Amino acid sequence: MSIQGVILIDLMGLGFLFLILNLVRNHNLVIGHALIWMIAVIGMMVLVTFTPLRDFVTKAVGAIYPASALSLLAFVFIFIVLIYFSVQLSVMSSRQVELIQAIALLELKLQGKETLTVETAQVPDSSVK
Amino acid sequence: MVQDLETKDDRITTPRVLVVIPAFNEEKSIADVLLRLRAAAPDFDRIVVNDGSRDRTAQVVQELGEKQLRLAANLGYGAALQVGMKYALQQNYEVVVCLDADGQHQPEDAPALVQALLAKDADMVIGSRYCDGRPYDAPLDRRIGQLFFSHLTRLLVGQRIYDTSSGFKALRSATCEILIHMTFMDFHIETIVRLIMLGKKIIEHPVIVYQRTAGYSMHSFASIFAYPLKTLVLTLVTAFDLVLTRRRQ
Repeated sequence: MSIQGVILIDLMGLGFLFLILNLVRNHNLVIGHALIWMIAVIGMMVLVTFTPLRDFVTKAVGAIYPASALSLLAFVFIFIVLIYFSVQLSVMSSRQVELIQAIALLELKLQGKETLTVETAQVPDSSVK
Repeated sequence: MVQDLETKDDRITTPRVLVVIPAFNEEKSIADVLLRLRAAAPDFDRIVVNDGSRDRTAQVVQELGEKQLRLAANLGYGAALQVGMKYALQQNYEVVVCLDADGQHQPEDAPALVQALLAKDADMVIGSRYCDGRPYDAPLDRRIGQLFFSHLTRLLVGQRIYDTSSGFKALRSATCEILIHMTFMDFHIETIVRLIMLGKKIIEHPVIVYQRTAGYSMHSFASIFAYPLKTLVLTLVTAFDLVLTRRRQ
């Protein structure tokens, strides 16, 4: 990879890092998710910048060109992240169901208590004489 | 009808029964279902689970003076039934009857389901469209699906259930206790498989079911393909999960 290419990718990486940190600062991204993206961006920058490491990874995954190895790693990363977010969505969906159910049960309980209070207020108290 | 049981058999006492009716946009049929249920089973308590309806279902139920649990969003059939069961457990009901609000089930059959549950000492009774060879004019795709899932239950748990997708059921509170903890539930074959594998006694009782005349089915065109796949995966996961749990124990 040419030096211009490495510099371009590193600059893009720095830009992504800045974007991620800014999202955390504005409370738009939780730190747990930010860490996943930061590790991925930093990992990619390191791989691109250090030629021996890039060549080692290329050989390790059985690729001929470094670009192919990096694409494969990116694909695996995106796949894992998508599964992770699907799990998170399912967990949130289950919590939402539980919350809505709990609200419905509480609402009915409250209605029952309100009805009881109204009835008690309307019935004249015969015990007090 | 439950009172009759007491005279025939002293061991069977009158249970507290709650009929749970999940409803999503059923303004046209819910009143008829509730009025017929009141007439057919005056001893049974009723609760409508309004599953985020956008039509007048809530008002109709309120005008009839019936209790309802209002879900703030449409959670789907299984979750709506689940909240009804949670309510039943909170209020110490002993038997829960699940009845659809679309008028396909005959509310007059509800006491017979409860009677079958008590008389046969079952944990769950399924109101079945097919178990005694009654003709039910279902579309071809549903009949094929029904046949497939019916045989799948036999394959997985050794007991053939002829109507795995019936929503008309009567079950004991102990059974509800298991079902309220199931996260992903459609309350069909995956539930049946889980209960049988846990040693629960499930039987079928013949009922008459008519095609829906008002409102819209919860099964869309896309669900013709998605529903069987989803149900199959859920059922296999349920069976696999129970086998693994048993091995660990």
